[in-house]
Parts: sequence; structure tokens; C-alpha cells
Amino acid sequence: MSEHIVSSFEEQLKILHNTVIKMGALTEAQFSNSVIALGKNDEDLIDKIVGKDDRVDEFEKKIELQVINLIALRHPVANDLRETVSAMKISAELERIGDLSKNIAKRCKVLKNKVPTEIYKTIQNCAEFAQKNLKLSIDAYTNRKSEAALDVWKKDKNVDEFVNTLMEDLVTHMKTNKKNLEDDTHLLFISKNIERIGDHATNIAEQVYFLIEGVQIKGQRPKGEDKLQAK
Amino acid sequence: MKKNAIEIKNLDFFYGKSKALKNINLNIEEKKITAFIGPSGCGKSTLLRTLNRMYDLYPGQKAEGEINFYGKNILGAKIDLNLLRSEIGMVFQKPTPFPMSIYDNIAFGVRLYENLNKKMMDERVQWALHKAAIWDETKDKLNQSGLSLSGGQQQRLCIARGIAVKPKVLLMDEPTSALDPISTNKIEELTNELKRDYTIAIVTHNMQQAARISDYTAFMYLGELVEFGETKKMFLKPERKETENYITGRFG
Repeated sequence: MSEHIVSSFEEQLKILHNTVIKMGALTEAQFSNSVIALGKNDEDLIDKIVGKDDRVDEFEKKIELQVINLIALRHPVANDLRETVSAMKISAELERIGDLSKNIAKRCKVLKNKVPTEIYKTIQNCAEFAQKNLKLSIDAYTNRKSEAALDVWKKDKNVDEFVNTLMEDLVTHMKTNKKNLEDDTHLLFISKNIERIGDHATNIAEQVYFLIEGVQIKGQRPKGEDKLQAK
Repeated sequence: MKKNAIEIKNLDFFYGKSKALKNINLNIEEKKITAFIGPSGCGKSTLLRTLNRMYDLYPGQKAEGEINFYGKNILGAKIDLNLLRSEIGMVFQKPTPFPMSIYDNIAFGVRLYENLNKKMMDERVQWALHKAAIWDETKDKLNQSGLSLSGGQQQRLCIARGIAVKPKVLLMDEPTSALDPISTNKIEELTNELKRDYTIAIVTHNMQQAARISDYTAFMYLGELVEFGETKKMFLKPERKETENYITGRFG
């Protein structure tokens, strides 16, 4: 893509793009740290995650302002319009991921016991899938690869299926270890958070696809069956 | 059901030996607004001027190919140019009111084609001024000179003059480039009203204007039609890289 005749416009679009990438990197770190904190029950790390959520929110506000300025002053069209609108939508998804990661961290703090190893391993597996999808979505945005975004979109089902298995395990655990009901309830919410982070990563992938191709991905997003709800 | 007012087929245009339009193929849909955009010298005004054979006024200019206006090729030799121009009216970049009263500015053209009595002519003048959204501002001073109006009012007077003879198509060559934003808004609003009854083809350098008011947009470059399509699509995801570069300001 050749550059704008007006270099300051070009510059503003680049700044916007880079701000989204930075926000993406911070959000990725927040999420992966929250899962580490859960395994180690690391209080310092938990506080760090909760404290850094303000930075995620600041990024979102910063991006929103940049987008409003671009629309008001530059009247972007075509790929510039898609770039501008996508930045705002992606930052909103990242902000939600930031909140959900913070929520995981906060729940870690109130757990009474160490998470049973088997359950933590399953949580870790689920989280890895969601983390991978988040990373791939942000990479697709950074490198402008619509094919990569489409791959993420197709893979959301895997996260759903893993989370379903995890939830079933947790429910079984709750039935047999009634003393841990409080902890297990928090773990259920943590699992749900991971599933929703996976959904937000997929939303980002959809947005990246639209940004590059100018059309929305056709068809229904492949979803895993929600076994708990089905029962 | 879509119906075309004008169908352009294999159109070439020459200024002497210089070829200004190269094999243009394009349909202008009835009762829609079609905008022509492109850098200076791309041929968009030339194309507009072929549609009512305005170029005939100048020696050495010639068009080849077909321009079918409701099925009839207007490039043919047997075309009555006066009749053609009453059916395909034109509004220019600079307002060009005649140096006569507001009333006569409208009545002048009508008298060439129709023999109306005083009452009917009064009604026609009022109708045209009303249609062009300038009746309220002129109804108490119809005998004043058209030149006494502001630029924006003069342009609406010219539009009223254009529609007074009840054309089928209205050609507009950068109709708001000499106007302030308020007058521009009024003209844009007016085009939206007019398309209920008329087909409009507009040349504009203001891309946002094309985006705001037109149903279809044609992007021209170096005498060629690069891309033509629905305006929404052209401004969200044009097919051609050249179009995208031009409308996003990357052309150079």
C-alpha cells in the first residue's frame, strides 16, 4: 500500500495501529499471568495483574480518542475507514479480555486451598488454547493476514470443547468434595472467563478479517456444545 | 426493476487529435444519482458534456460510439440538439443566471419549448422555484435581477431554470465548488429531493460529497473508466487498487 499524500494522516494511522498492538501485548500478558498466578497462588503477581488493568483501560480510552479524532478530522474512507473502525472494536474486545483476566486474578486471591493438580492442568490446557487464539488474532492484525484470522475463527470451537470438559470435571469434583464447594465455584467462573476470552479472541479475528477483506466472514461461527446448559 | 436513462457504449472522445475518453461503457440508472470522480483532466467533465452534446458548440471536438438516451443514440446526426438539451439539462460550476429578473430566468427557457398563458407560466415559475428550494427566498422579489441573489441562491435559481423545462436528466458539473458549506448542504439536500423525479449525473471533486449524495460512483483516470459501482461499496471496499488509492488520498 502506497503512503498518503498527507504524511500526518499516514502517521496518525500508524500510531493507531501500533497502539492497538501494544494494548494487545499487554492484554496477552495479563491473561497468561492470571493463569500462572492461579497455579502458584502468587500474591505479588495477582496484585500486579489487578494494578495493571488500569493501563489496559487507559489504552482503550486512548484508542477511542485517536479514532474519534481521525473520523472528525480526516474523514477516512475505504481501507482507512476499516482500519479506524477496527481499531476501536478490537480495543473494546481487548478491554474485556483485560477485565476477565483481572477477575481470574481476583478469584485466585480468595481461593482457600491450592487448586488440585489435575484440575489445574485441565485449566492450563484450556487457557493455552485461548491464549494461542488470542496471540494468533493479534499477530493476524499486526501482519494483516486474513487467512490467519480465518483459522482462529474456525478454532474457537476447540476452546469451547475444552472448557466444557473442564466444567464437567469441576461439577464431578463438586459432587464428591463438598467441602471445597466455594473454591470450585470460583474455578467454575474462572473456566467460564477463559471460554469468554476465547470468544473475544475470535471476535478480534473476525474484525481483522473484515479490516483486510472488506467483508464479514460468511456463515455461523463453529461453536462447541454447551453441555452444562444442555443438561 | 432497474431502468437505465442513459447507456454509454464504447465511447471515445477527441479534442482534435487528442483522445480524452477511451472506450467508456457505463449505464446511468433512472432516478438515481451517479457521481463522477477522478483527478483533474481525467475526463469526467468531458464525459458529462457528451451527454447533452455540449461539445457540439466547439469545432474540432468529436465523440464516437453510442450514448443511448432511453434507447435513442444521441450521437446520431438527426438529433434535435435544442430538444435534447431540454430533456437533459445542465448546471455548471459557477452559477450562471441570465442578466434578467428571477421570474424571467425561469420563464425564458420555458418559452422556447412551450406556449403557456400568463397563469400557467406563473404556476410553472413557482413550481420550479419551489422544487429548487428557493421559492421562499424569492417569492417577494420575482422582478428583481437574478444577479442580485447570493451565490448559493443563484445556483439554486440555475437548478430551478434547469428543471423548469421538465427535463428527464440533470447534469451537474461541480455545482457546489464555488459555494459555502450551508449553500452546499442545501444543494445536496435538493439533489436528494430531485432524484424522485429526475436522473442526476454529477461531477465533483469533493469525494465526501459523492459519498454523501450519490447512489453510484464512477472513478475515472486518464480518460478511462477505472471502476464503477454502488457508492457504498466504492467507499468501503473498492475493487481496484487505483480507486482505493485515489479516494484515500494516496494518489500521486
